[in-house]
Amino acid sequence: MRRAPGKGDLMTDKLILYKEHLNSFLRKITKGFELIAPVRNTYGDTLFEVIPSVDDVGIDLTNRPILSPKRFFMPQVETLFAYRYDKSGYTFKDTADNTPRVIFGLRSCDTRGILFYDLIFQEGLKDKYYLDRRRDTILINLGCNQPGENCFCKSAQSGPFLTYGYDIQLTDLGDRFFVEIGRPRGRELLAGWSYFFRPATQADIDAQYEAVLESEGRFRHRLDFDAAIEKLINQKVDPAIWEELGRRCQNCGGCAYVCPTCYCFNMFDSPCSEKEGERLRTWDACTFAGFSRLAGGYNPRQDKAQRIKRRFYHKLFYDKQKYNIPSCVGCGRCADICFGRIDMLSFIRLICEQKEKSPAPAHRRLGELLLEAGIISQKDLDSAIEKQAATGKPLGVQLVEMGVVDKEAIAGALGCQLKIPGTAKNVED
Amino acid sequence: MHSVLTTCPFCACGCGLYLHVENERIVGVTPSKKHPISRGNLCVKGWNSIEHVRHAERLREPLIRKNGKLFRTGWDQALKRVSLELLKIKKKYGGESIGILSSAKCTNEENYLLMKLGRAVLKTNNIDHCARLCHSPSVLGLTNAFGSGAMTNSISELAGAEVILVTGSNTTEQHPQIARFIFEALDKGAKLIVIDPRRIELSRFAHIHLRPRLGTDVIWLNGMMKIILDEGLLDDSFIKMRTENFPEFRKFLSRFDLGQVEAISGISLEDLGRAAKIYAGAKRAIIIYSMGITQHVSGTDNVESIANLAMMTGHVEQEITGVFPLRGQNNVQGACDMGALPGMLSGYQRVDDPAVLDKFSRAWNTGLPAAPGLSSVDMLHETGRIKGMFIMGENSMLSHPDMKNVRASMEHLDFLAVADIFLTETAEVADVILPAAAFAEKDGTVTSTERRIQRMRKAIPPVHLSKPDWQIIIELARRMGYPMDYESPAEVMEEIALLTPIYGGVYYDRLETIQGLQWPCPDRNHPGTTYLHKKSFARGKGLFSCIAYRPPDETPDKKYPFALTTGRVYEHWHTGTMTRRISILKRECPEGFIEISPADARALGIINGEPVKVISPRGEVTTRARLVEGLPGKTLFMPFHFREAPANALTNHAVDPQARIPELKICAVRLEKVT
Amino acid sequence: MNNNVYLPQIAVIKDIKEETGDIKTFTLAFKDRKFKNSFSFRPGQFMMVSVFQAGEVPISISSSPSQPENLQLSIKKAGALTGKIHGHKVGDEIGLRGPYGRSFPVERLIGKNLLFVAGGIGLAPLRSLINYVLNNRTEFGQITILHGARTPSDIPFKHELSRWPKERDVKVLVTVDRPDTGWKGNIGPATALWDKTGISSRDTIAVICGPPVMISFVVMDLLKMGFSEDDIISTLERHMKCGVGKCGHCSIGHQLTCVDGPVFTYREMKELPTDL
Repeated sequence: MRRAPGKGDLMTDKLILYKEHLNSFLRKITKGFELIAPVRNTYGDTLFEVIPSVDDVGIDLTNRPILSPKRFFMPQVETLFAYRYDKSGYTFKDTADNTPRVIFGLRSCDTRGILFYDLIFQEGLKDKYYLDRRRDTILINLGCNQPGENCFCKSAQSGPFLTYGYDIQLTDLGDRFFVEIGRPRGRELLAGWSYFFRPATQADIDAQYEAVLESEGRFRHRLDFDAAIEKLINQKVDPAIWEELGRRCQNCGGCAYVCPTCYCFNMFDSPCSEKEGERLRTWDACTFAGFSRLAGGYNPRQDKAQRIKRRFYHKLFYDKQKYNIPSCVGCGRCADICFGRIDMLSFIRLICEQKEKSPAPAHRRLGELLLEAGIISQKDLDSAIEKQAATGKPLGVQLVEMGVVDKEAIAGALGCQLKIPGTAKNVED
Repeated sequence: MHSVLTTCPFCACGCGLYLHVENERIVGVTPSKKHPISRGNLCVKGWNSIEHVRHAERLREPLIRKNGKLFRTGWDQALKRVSLELLKIKKKYGGESIGILSSAKCTNEENYLLMKLGRAVLKTNNIDHCARLCHSPSVLGLTNAFGSGAMTNSISELAGAEVILVTGSNTTEQHPQIARFIFEALDKGAKLIVIDPRRIELSRFAHIHLRPRLGTDVIWLNGMMKIILDEGLLDDSFIKMRTENFPEFRKFLSRFDLGQVEAISGISLEDLGRAAKIYAGAKRAIIIYSMGITQHVSGTDNVESIANLAMMTGHVEQEITGVFPLRGQNNVQGACDMGALPGMLSGYQRVDDPAVLDKFSRAWNTGLPAAPGLSSVDMLHETGRIKGMFIMGENSMLSHPDMKNVRASMEHLDFLAVADIFLTETAEVADVILPAAAFAEKDGTVTSTERRIQRMRKAIPPVHLSKPDWQIIIELARRMGYPMDYESPAEVMEEIALLTPIYGGVYYDRLETIQGLQWPCPDRNHPGTTYLHKKSFARGKGLFSCIAYRPPDETPDKKYPFALTTGRVYEHWHTGTMTRRISILKRECPEGFIEISPADARALGIINGEPVKVISPRGEVTTRARLVEGLPGKTLFMPFHFREAPANALTNHAVDPQARIPELKICAVRLEKVT
Repeated sequence: MNNNVYLPQIAVIKDIKEETGDIKTFTLAFKDRKFKNSFSFRPGQFMMVSVFQAGEVPISISSSPSQPENLQLSIKKAGALTGKIHGHKVGDEIGLRGPYGRSFPVERLIGKNLLFVAGGIGLAPLRSLINYVLNNRTEFGQITILHGARTPSDIPFKHELSRWPKERDVKVLVTVDRPDTGWKGNIGPATALWDKTGISSRDTIAVICGPPVMISFVVMDLLKMGFSEDDIISTLERHMKCGVGKCGHCSIGHQLTCVDGPVFTYREMKELPTDL
């Protein structure tokens, strides 16, 4: 029986692909698969795009795409199924996407993100929509020789190069790629066009090893995940930190949307006509108030501070507890975009640098601070101090009781460093 | 799946975002990273800006009213009806009896074409749009003072500011992406002064938060300037070189009695003095303001006072210093630029300037009306004057004050046509409703608050039978006997560029960059302008105006003891037509409410979440009470997004005599518990 | 199609019983015969109910698992969705997914005395368990049922509340917060009835279902009586979307209410960080 040229001739799991052959190889892929790769567009942005023809677009292997390729597995807005009602009752039209795909040039953080999705969507009752797309997608990972500005995948143990999980992994060795085969279907893909590859020599293997070492030495950020998780487990994070993060969060949802592992989604119906409709799902974020609010209005995570706390506990501690690995892959995308610095990078830094207990500011200073902030007048302060002498209450409580200032103002003035006993009334009650 | 770069359809921050398209459906959004404003992120509205496009309630085909009921019809019949009815009214009563509302949600090209249709074909200058309700005082006041009504500088300059004074702008909620630059400045050590009656999110980060009583802005502004004068903190050389009428203004200020400041505004002189010193003492200081300043009967006064303040301290005419009126809608700047204004053609060229009129009549090959037209407030609040209206993409029924009055005017019209994407409250009373294409379904340009002209790009075809507004206008013009021959919005822009000096160099091929072009851009080789008034004001010298305080039109009394102020929330956009059809946004803020201070609530026995009836001299609304700390006593706040609890059923339509903006920011109401 | 957990099965409403002004019990039959025949559940489990055009809502099964063909859901009108279900008529079709969630630990109850405490609609999931227990009466010890409602007209399952005491060793006590003129029964919270029950913690497992405040008061008293934390069983309510452990909405700490709950022992509940 005649075989396709070269098919099955891969002698080893470590190969070399010369860069001059890359486009030819990718062109072959487009014949049997939908090829997705990072593309730098004319506006200067790099995004994962479907590549109809490799000759028409510039594949960008320098810049990491703005978002991870998670939308190719779970689009931001997805129709789960359509339904229609007629005389005989309801009928459903299930959507199915079984397009075979190759994602080329995704980075270790993003591959790890997909592996985390695998855990979620395969666990227990399976998510057909995700798994249908995932089953037929081959991941060609490109290790990172040069970590980006906010990258900390090494600390998150998810990069810069992977040791498992990829179908194929590439390492840039200048004029050539070092190619590693991780899973059988990766081998199958390469075997189809084995003439583009030659077995790696010891020199290639050494060069790859050096590239890995060099890259690992280039990280600007080193974070101690274990120490951070330890702090969370032992409740060692100063409550003032959560308050402060809650204050800074502007509720855009961006951290969840850009995160390669954030998978939470919302489901809802979208009517199309009187008799027809669709059930959709969209990306959701646990930092939104409506995420946990019950129909009657009760919300177990009413405050922004609680929701942010939940987010970090979930990603670092709960997922570690459940899956033995935190669901942060260290891509630093949240750090790229969160101007409030409520991102993973800033957070781990913050809690690891935090002193065990910060001394409470003296009450004498509270008056000054409020005065300075224009929240109270000198008259108010004098009268509060006078009354305080009689009641013996803390100045803050006294001011609140006099009605000249409220809890929030005090918290604001002090960056929520102070907690005044007896004033923590919740207006929601 | 492919990606199409476009501009966010909500606010005037003008974020660049990619729409991901699969099988003619939008399945996701990615913020542009290279875009100077979005920088890789969006606000919650931007991230969720797509669901409404395919919503089931999108208008599917033209609707026509017969015997009080709406019926489906074809385009041909609907367009015929609109053109015949409007021409009939024109013939019977004259063009001045026709009113046109253009839209800050539509593209520049659509605004230009609609104002052309109005002026060249229907012979009316009664053309206006929602800028009337937001920044008409800025257009007027800043033009008087500086010669240009637009934001003087670029958004990103905020990050480098030394001092930022924010007044009457809830920036984190209404312009979240601009707020991010404020936070950046704060991180670098900038000082923030917030002057706002409510304790807004930003005030928690402010070094000084002053809380004037509603509608007392001229008082604190004059007070602040008097202190600056007394303390000798003014920029003498700037005043001398760059401005005029200062001696008069100095005389005016010296007569100003500082004693009244605290009594009227509630701000202590001590606090005001600290703010004055910080602002005047800075090398580079920026004033951000928005509707809290403009939506008053003294709106223009307020704006001119802000201009006075900026000029006397030399905080204008340079980079990283200036006056930032934050525009609301994604294209409210552009709609103004395009001359969707009763007194101006595109590029703020006055209709009563014979040379301008001559230029346009020759270009358009027809005679044009010379007298400035009516504002939207005058069209919608003076029953009987206008006989027929064409409204493109505006929901005036919910956005204008005094809803009952607006409804009466609309119902009194002989003919009303509305083009929109949903059956809005305004469309519900129309005689003909034309289904328009949504932002993702058409090409065009929009101009953001920083004068940035950017592309809106078609990602999917219009749903059902809907059409882009520009095509609708062309169709109407043709049927009215004035053929408009444009193949594309790009071709419309070529005409705009020829006739509009500030857009003189704006061509579609030049907009194929991530940052677009900032006007003024007078010719093809001009790189655009990041900040205005460099070395000289647009009008030559900056003009100081002496502004006396004028109290609000309606203040609380015994019968209506509360002052109601209105505004918006982070998750929703204006009358909620789009955002209330987007699942995440709807969930985040499902229904309307009225904010009340816990003390006032206690006094009335109102519990958080309880329904209350709000009654003003003009109407009543039932909504839920939300107890919030940080509201001044006897002051209530209500967002105007919610049709079930429309704040504008209560508001007052008394207007600023110059800018004709209604006083949406204060009216008197009383509260009743619903038992 | 059948491997898709998100796709509901169509069920026809066979009967609607108005329990109270805002609670209705719907008896449902699956349309698909094969599914109908294979359908089974355990007490305490819930179904995701599809109201097409409006969305889905999790509802506890209120009927006994001994009769899976007579699936009943008792639904309280609480929001737009449940309001829409209340508008349905006999013969209308709705969608159902499930059963989902961890059930009451029926095996652990065998041989024990049982105390059921329910508040309001909380009686619905307990009704499933109670009827199951009564169908297998010999396997269980003494049964005490406490039910608290706001007013007499808010008491659901009145017929069963009067039928149950007729069974062997079953005591039923009903109490209301606000009596009307005709009310001759108990007044006040369920916790005021301990003396009348004569209950002891010995060989007894308590199953509580109702509003969170009620649950916490009942648990406090039970602990005082000497109940062990493992012998107090209750349920938690959270916002739910998928019901199958994917969407993340119903999370409490590292647990998901939809798969790890909604039934928890008090010991488990105590460990849960309820605000995280």
